[in-house]
Amino acid sequence: MKQATEKTGSIAPAGAAATPTRARPPASRRALDRMDALLCAAVRAVLWIWVSMMVILTLWVVVSSLKTNGEVFSNPFGLPKSPQWRNYRLAWSVSGFGQAAFSSVAVVAAAALLTMVLATPASYVLARTERRSASRIVTYFAIGMGIPAQALVVPFFLMANDLSTFMTDWVTGWWDDRISLVLIYIVMSLPFTVYLLTMYFRSLPTEIEEAAAVDGAGPTRTFVEVMLPLARHGLVTALVLNIVALWNETLFVLIIVGDPQQRTLPATLLELYNTMQYTSNWGGLFAGIVILVMPMILLYLWAGRRIVQAMTQGALK
Amino acid sequence: MARTLGGVRGERDRIYVPYLLPALLIYSILFIAPAAVTIWYSFTRWQGLGTEAHYTGLANYRAMLSNPVFLTSFRNTLILVVVGGAFVFALTFLTMVVVREMRGRAFVRSMLFVPSILSPIAIGTAVGFLLNPDGALNRLLSDVGLHSLTRGWLGPDLIFKCIIAAVVWIATGFYVAIMMSRVDAIPEDLYETARLAGANRLEQFRYITFPLSRDALSTGAVLWVIGAVKTFEIVIAFTGTAGTPPVQARSAAVQQYLAVTGGISGTPQLGSAAAIGVVMFLLTAVLVVALRRLLRSEAVEL
Repeated sequence: MKQATEKTGSIAPAGAAATPTRARPPASRRALDRMDALLCAAVRAVLWIWVSMMVILTLWVVVSSLKTNGEVFSNPFGLPKSPQWRNYRLAWSVSGFGQAAFSSVAVVAAAALLTMVLATPASYVLARTERRSASRIVTYFAIGMGIPAQALVVPFFLMANDLSTFMTDWVTGWWDDRISLVLIYIVMSLPFTVYLLTMYFRSLPTEIEEAAAVDGAGPTRTFVEVMLPLARHGLVTALVLNIVALWNETLFVLIIVGDPQQRTLPATLLELYNTMQYTSNWGGLFAGIVILVMPMILLYLWAGRRIVQAMTQGALK
Repeated sequence: MARTLGGVRGERDRIYVPYLLPALLIYSILFIAPAAVTIWYSFTRWQGLGTEAHYTGLANYRAMLSNPVFLTSFRNTLILVVVGGAFVFALTFLTMVVVREMRGRAFVRSMLFVPSILSPIAIGTAVGFLLNPDGALNRLLSDVGLHSLTRGWLGPDLIFKCIIAAVVWIATGFYVAIMMSRVDAIPEDLYETARLAGANRLEQFRYITFPLSRDALSTGAVLWVIGAVKTFEIVIAFTGTAGTPPVQARSAAVQQYLAVTGGISGTPQLGSAAAIGVVMFLLTAVLVVALRRLLRSEAVEL
């Protein structure tokens, strides 16, 4: 570190060195610079190839979703003779992507919103309190980010089962595994959300809420009417991040939700994929991929910069 | 009546417990407690609901050590973490050398990030179709006269290499974004002066970019370990859940999934599944602590 500042610090400021009088560099130096230029060109080329591969793969999936099964195999890289929109219709109604899309939207929306309801007030008081226990509690939440879901699979599996039996036998007479899934998603999202929002509330100025309080607003009113609007940006960011993570979650859907008709999109896609060797409904499979991926791509187009910022800076704090 | 700031802070203290308690209770009861209960289950033999759990001490852990299938799945996970991680960060560094100044950098950076927000199941299904024995990649290779390069990409020999490649391809953009968000904060005149002194790109990376983003590297490496140990979706997207994934392709998480659902035998092994979960947690914890020590550095104030 010191090295860097010394090296650059010893050089005259940019303005003073407008016409640097440099001696012709020695041959070894020139060779080094040539190698550097070569390497950089190579890396730039690799990056463009990499990015093109992503674009091509995406386009290829979209185009394949409009092909007949025959065309998917006989002409994997060409265009379809006529676009098969029925692939989407069939995927939606016959292969269950319509139901799955509903399950995905309902489960993800419920879990993401309830997570915010729980995490926001907790994060606010954790960020603002002067109690010493607060930093330890934040660490306690942060530990959860390092515990892999696999350490919770067995108890969650059993709890979801017990809950289902208990509710069916004693309380409601029915149960929907998707409600258990929502509960699990809330619990899994809490550590990261509390951590991120606590950092965010800490970064907000305290003057406004103190002014509001001195003017006679109680702490609850200050929180709801002053802090929530002020923290809007951070709250939306946390919400979006949870939506992305939960939309793609697959492990717990497979383990908790027994009825394939109640499963979310990734599990439904996986199930269709597993039947491919009997059904060969390849056009429908690609349509399913598009249905699963498209909402996230739209979300990224809308809030891409914010997602990247939150995922990286949330991690760095 | 105007109130004092001290009084206001005291009032705010009243909401501390009610605001905090719901989240804290739910997290403690439904996250931390189950994690602890997993440890207990890992000492039992339990073949699923409706049967009794028998305390068997360390039997599950001993069985893991002598079972080649378990050992393969854990070795795969370790290889993925170490080898995959080496590739991810090597690619990230190379990208950092050029992406700061290249043309179209905003576009490249935002594109590289896209796979991080897409379902690995979707990516794995599409790529899996390309890699099938009679899939599009082999066809393409034959068509352009490179028949000798066609492979059973998803066959036992190559499948795990393909999985690592896919994970690296999916994940790298995220780590580029993490590192670059730190690099963006480096003042431009540092690079300016370095250029005037004749420093080339690699030297600029070596003396400016790398040292000034090192604290992000340790965070990035920790996140990589936490994420890579859990690798699950991409494996089952490549292999399907219908049969059982070939042993060569299994990660520890896949092995655990098979133990919970019973896999092909149909008999769940909840005790072993819990033990796998515990070992995965320990693996994460050990690697994270080791990395923290290895990469410890003070944040640089600019």
